[in-house]
Amino acid sequence: MITVVNPAFLSMIVDNGRFGYGHIGVAPSSGLDRFACAMARFILGNIDSAPVLEIMGNGLSLLFSEAVTFAITGARVKGTLDDVPVEPWSRTKAPKGSVLKISEVLEGCRYYIGFSGTIDVDPVMGSRSTNLECRFGGYQGRPLMKGDVLELREVYDPVGHISVPDERIPSMGEPHIIRVLPGPEADYFSPLSVKFLSNRNEALFFKASARLNRTGIRLEGPAIQFRDEAEQSIISEGILPGTIQVPPDGLPIINCVERTIGGYARLAIIIDVDLDKLAHIKPFDRVILSVTDSEEAERLLQAKKDTVAFYVKKQ
Amino acid sequence: MVRERYGESGIRIVFGDIIDEITHEAVRRFFLHLTSLNIPGIVDIIPSFRTCLVHFDSDRVRYEQLCQLIDTTEADRKNMVLPDVQRLEIPVRYGGDYGPDMDFVCSYSGLSPEEVIEIHSAGTYRVHAIGFMPGFPYLGPVDRRLYVPRQATPVLKVPQGSVGIAQLQTGIYPFESPAGWRIIGRTMMRLFDYTKPPYSVLHFGDTVRFVRV
Repeated sequence: MITVVNPAFLSMIVDNGRFGYGHIGVAPSSGLDRFACAMARFILGNIDSAPVLEIMGNGLSLLFSEAVTFAITGARVKGTLDDVPVEPWSRTKAPKGSVLKISEVLEGCRYYIGFSGTIDVDPVMGSRSTNLECRFGGYQGRPLMKGDVLELREVYDPVGHISVPDERIPSMGEPHIIRVLPGPEADYFSPLSVKFLSNRNEALFFKASARLNRTGIRLEGPAIQFRDEAEQSIISEGILPGTIQVPPDGLPIINCVERTIGGYARLAIIIDVDLDKLAHIKPFDRVILSVTDSEEAERLLQAKKDTVAFYVKKQ
Repeated sequence: MVRERYGESGIRIVFGDIIDEITHEAVRRFFLHLTSLNIPGIVDIIPSFRTCLVHFDSDRVRYEQLCQLIDTTEADRKNMVLPDVQRLEIPVRYGGDYGPDMDFVCSYSGLSPEEVIEIHSAGTYRVHAIGFMPGFPYLGPVDRRLYVPRQATPVLKVPQGSVGIAQLQTGIYPFESPAGWRIIGRTMMRLFDYTKPPYSVLHFGDTVRFVRV
């Protein structure tokens, strides 16, 4: 069992997400950085659906009341286990009674901690991810608080050392370069405003606003102009994680993992491999949007999958 | 029916340009049929007013395969017998603390609270989509006399069960949440229960009437 001594800014239980209920408005609520979540599990030899902790901010502190192996992935952090520095993106054995402390987030925003056991919370609609807004899933449907106790099921003792070499860890710092495919309403906007969608050498430069969370990330910068004759909203319909909508004020909103329907014009859709970057956008970070095509997107995705497959095999 | 790719892992199927019953039925037909096929790799199908968004996992099914499937099953869809919809009555307390925006709606529409309640509870509304949050129904069409704009800035919190109107739509907030619609009443009926299938009381295509209590 693990006791939360300090939950940092925001800690919660996430997994691969809640799917199959989009038609009744249930969003995935998945861990935002799927690669980091997957690598935490691979490092530990966990099953694919094992939940992990998603954490934001300095000061996290966990007390291990039983011996367990853990792995930290995602944002680059500085941490100690009983005052000995911890190496992220690798296995660390925590003896009974030891305390993990994260003192600083060096690059990126959200970090993930997995354990050699399954965090014992009941799945809700097929997932252990926390839906913060509706208060279900995860740990009683809420963020972790000081004093919470996480029980682990089927704790095992992984043999050997596994770590992800530095060059395989993606960059999580700003500026965040986000590649997109044009969205269904790309033609609602003045061609001059969205030149970047037809020219790979162009890009749009924004700053993330302070209004960002797992639901959406609002961008600030030059407002995108609608064509004079275009509607400024749409008849509400389905959206996916990574859909970039533009409300009438012209400032884009990136849909993250908590909405299934949108009512604003959809400028673009973020390609799969760049979705993980959403986990690491902090207020006032620079965000650069540039266009790509389906073939390139598919090639990049395959390369990322190969990285994951490489580790699974090695194990 | 127009089919287009939506990013890498989505297919968007458009059945019409406006909100009407013919378009709605085409969406519902497509949604129910594709759901019944249980295709491995289809992660979610999100039906709405005039489109269906199919979300797939490219590890398990290829975009081209799904397109082919969609194109070759048109006849099956046409011949499918559609199940009946649920016709639901939802009890609502209108106005006062339950409907903090009733005054705004009255002054915007020039109607009295009584008239607003009468018109709102006289309509039979179709569930045109469920989203924004789990179990939130987009209901319409609302009588033109009740047309009100959305809040310019959403209200930070409205209680669970709040009944709102905006433009020609009405809806119910199944959870306490921020709200962009004008709240005219509240229901005690629980619209979403994550512990019990089928979780949502309302489903795409159902009809709803509001009953004043």
